[in-house]
Amino acid sequence: MVNNLNVEVSPVSRVEGHGDLIINVKDRKIEKLMFRIPESPRFFEAMLVGRKYDEPSHITSRICGICSVAHTCASIKATERALDIQPTEQTINLRKLIYHHENVQSNVLHVYFLAAPDFFGAGSVISLVETHPEVVNIALRTKKMANDMVRIIGGRAVHPIRTVVGGFTKLPTEEEMIIMRKMLEDCYPDLEKSLEVLKTVKIPDFERETEYISISDANDYALYDGNIKSTDGWEIDDQDYLDKINEKVVQHSTAKHCWANRDSYMVGALARFNNNYERLTDNAKEYAEELGLKAPCYNTFMNNIAQFVEIVHSVDDSIRLIDKILEEGLDEDKAMVDIKPGAGRGVGVVEAPRGLLIHDYTYNDKGRIEKANLIIPTNMNYANIENDMKALVPEIIDKSEDEIRLACEMLIRAYDPCISCSTHLLSVKLINK
Amino acid sequence: MAFKDKDISDDSSCTKINIRIVGFGNKYRSDDGIGIKVIEELEKIDFFKDVEIIDGGTSGTDLIFLAKGCRKIIIVDAIDTGTHTEEVLCIHVDDVEEFIKKDCKSLSLHDLNLSDILRLIKALGIDTDISIIGVKPKNINFGEKLSPEIENKIPQIISRIKEEINKVNI
Repeated sequence: MVNNLNVEVSPVSRVEGHGDLIINVKDRKIEKLMFRIPESPRFFEAMLVGRKYDEPSHITSRICGICSVAHTCASIKATERALDIQPTEQTINLRKLIYHHENVQSNVLHVYFLAAPDFFGAGSVISLVETHPEVVNIALRTKKMANDMVRIIGGRAVHPIRTVVGGFTKLPTEEEMIIMRKMLEDCYPDLEKSLEVLKTVKIPDFERETEYISISDANDYALYDGNIKSTDGWEIDDQDYLDKINEKVVQHSTAKHCWANRDSYMVGALARFNNNYERLTDNAKEYAEELGLKAPCYNTFMNNIAQFVEIVHSVDDSIRLIDKILEEGLDEDKAMVDIKPGAGRGVGVVEAPRGLLIHDYTYNDKGRIEKANLIIPTNMNYANIENDMKALVPEIIDKSEDEIRLACEMLIRAYDPCISCSTHLLSVKLINK
Repeated sequence: MAFKDKDISDDSSCTKINIRIVGFGNKYRSDDGIGIKVIEELEKIDFFKDVEIIDGGTSGTDLIFLAKGCRKIIIVDAIDTGTHTEEVLCIHVDDVEEFIKKDCKSLSLHDLNLSDILRLIKALGIDTDISIIGVKPKNINFGEKLSPEIENKIPQIISRIKEEINKVNI
């Protein structure tokens, strides 16, 4: 046991991009704790200014390879709202289908490749090939399935090209829909095996209740569309996000911090689970129960388990969506709706794999974007990561410096931060334990 | 012919000579987009008509799927080997550990880093011939344009890619 702690972890590996965590403990009290993000200028917002309605979704899709469908859909929704475009139900169902599989792609990557090495005490996914080859093979098969789903619907496995304002430039064929259904059915043995493996994993015992914010819908476990809802009891129309979501610049980080009802909140799989548990499929609920995940859950480390439960839900719900689309029949006449460029403001809110993602565009009377505001989920989580750290470090202060360092890294990784779309450098420093 | 629509998760047999060229990077991160800019050029060149050309964007892990099922894969990316930004590098990944010892880093901001992905490919027993061709970027801040020094290297990078293809016994 030591009284002073001075740790820097640089960089925090297995996190998208890079950031910087510094913890300075003196006489067993935290003197300084900063999660510092050297965010680059808000380039994409500036870049959208002056663009026509058909450009923003392709540009913002390139912000990040992991969240490209999310940015595409948030962008499309903002534009459609601004220009008063109502896509067909067929389009919405296909968007929900492609959306599920970006979430699966990302959740697989995070649960199996980035977080699992922590759970199994392996240094990285490379070690897992030796110690848990079946886990790696399951991850690859599931990721491949999700890639193929996104490719068949969107035309590419990342940065989809067929998903556009007004609908789809090309529809999948009925045969492709049947192939996708079979691919989904084939996933279940791997999900069951994953469940057995994850049941053996010891999740750190840490709880800190905070505000959890996600979108929510009366009928769906909302990923593509819904109101913005908080576990603190408020729910608002997504167009009114500015009524609750606040951003502020903090001195130690050029990335903005966000707050709503309290000084911080959490977004992501655990927030979605806490707000929308009832809308999970029965099968996904059973998986959650087997893994000890109950709503509300206040253990940030369980975010990774919530991500796995979402994979199960996405597979179940995709089969339901495919059956529905096939039953109604794919109709080329419903692939696109008419678009009349003009002036207006619209907000597109979706759940990126890492949480709430907001695009807010204002078009001028020449049909060009005049103003754009993008709020990404990782930015929303920064303040909550700091607050979690402030609660976690005193609980583990009697552990060795290496153990503290690992616990801090694991906590950051549990959030699945995708810093590459907000910044690109991460290191962790613990000072004077 | 080049297959613009073919992409990273499609590991079906590619073309008759079974070679893939994958550009990685973010074209809105200045020089990080060199891989994408190069493959956009390759699609216009007749020499590459029998080679599969793929825009890999910023999705690193999917390289595993691409490496399966072809005899050679050429990765085009911004790479940092500590050398000068002027130098075009062609690294043949005969030995992943040797490659890692050289401290070569892919600068693209993807998921797992390139060294980990190459290790994973090796650990999974995928023995596809892999080469990485690229240049050290000067600037990876947000921006649509390549630095002039990096843009000037595109013809040289394309020449190196041709050399790599010509080495394959077709």
